[in-house]
Amino acid sequence: MLENIDWLLIREIISCVLILTGVLFMLISTLGLLRLPDFYIRMSAITKGTTLGLGLILSGMGIYFNQPDILLKVLAIIVFSFITAPVAAHVVGRTAVQNKIPFWDRTKTKELNEYLEQENLGEHVNRDKYIEDLKKKKKNAPGNQ
Amino acid sequence: MKTFVFHFIVAFTATYLFFSQADLPIPYNAETTTAMFLGILTLLWLSALFYNKSYFRKLPKAINLLLYFLKELFLANIKVAFDIVTPHYYMRPTIIALPLTVKSDLEITLLANIITLTPGTLSIDVRKDKKILFLHALYVKDDDIEQLKNYIKHGFERRILELTA
Amino acid sequence: MNLFQVTLTIAMVALSLCLVLTAVRFAIGPTLPDRITAFDLFVANVIGMIAIYTEFTGNEDFIDVAMILSLFGFLGSISFAYYIMRITK
Repeated sequence: MLENIDWLLIREIISCVLILTGVLFMLISTLGLLRLPDFYIRMSAITKGTTLGLGLILSGMGIYFNQPDILLKVLAIIVFSFITAPVAAHVVGRTAVQNKIPFWDRTKTKELNEYLEQENLGEHVNRDKYIEDLKKKKKNAPGNQ
Repeated sequence: MKTFVFHFIVAFTATYLFFSQADLPIPYNAETTTAMFLGILTLLWLSALFYNKSYFRKLPKAINLLLYFLKELFLANIKVAFDIVTPHYYMRPTIIALPLTVKSDLEITLLANIITLTPGTLSIDVRKDKKILFLHALYVKDDDIEQLKNYIKHGFERRILELTA
Repeated sequence: MNLFQVTLTIAMVALSLCLVLTAVRFAIGPTLPDRITAFDLFVANVIGMIAIYTEFTGNEDFIDVAMILSLFGFLGSISFAYYIMRITK
């Protein structure tokens, strides 16, 4: 009974499903990178989508080859990306807050404002205000005349 | 933790030595090696009942945390993907100051990493005295910040505290 | 050409489209952190493409390339973040 089953076909089908799901997540997160309104929202959407998509694609590859050494390497890549992706996101997000990258105008920043004022960072929390300031700076710049 | 690393190395070496001999009774592929590795690890875990009780208790909790984390990751992704594909924005982004119960650096790193990867939240900054973690949350229902705080506190922080206590 | 190869081709095309769209964000991104995010996504896309190419050809040596690339992508985004922190202080 067990010899009649084509194991290669089953592995191919599982691998196909995993790869298609992973590629779908990657595509959606790339679309999100293009059309979401604010840097922080983009960042939090991208980190999740990419990590999950990459994990699904790589595990699909590991299942297709069915060899221990490849499975080990794939697991190493997955664990590494699951550890490093949030760390990189945290570092970039922290840098963005300290560099006054503006928030979306619908974002509620009540609990952050106190902290920002304490650190002398709270000038441009609002995106509209930031754009107005940019325009004023451009008007006042001496190179424009 | 030390016990787990020791058991992992022992199981890995045993599996490697078994499969590097000349004539094998079972085929050499990923399924058999993984099954043998997990089997040896389970046997060692059962043997830990006699000399390391805390490791015997903590390993199921660690696996529970891992499964819960994977489930949350998948659900968060589907939520964000739905919001990206449909033209209307359902998100209400909010900055949250989350008071931390966890103390050591390892626990804070673990919690911040898990929070970044799960439900629509991104950890932005830790205050210098390591007592408050700032989050950027996408989905806050009806401006109810306390509910989200409670959700994170009872979901992830409790499990991490159980693991490292 | 069986079903499996068709799937791999579709995945490859979709990932190439991802690369192009990410390049658009890299070009228009209003601030520097936006560009770092796009760079991160570049690296992830290329790792996915390497994985699918490995399945296409059956050549197992390319997985090592993916491992090294994931290492260098992390190093790249971290060093860019510190660079921004340095130039604005």
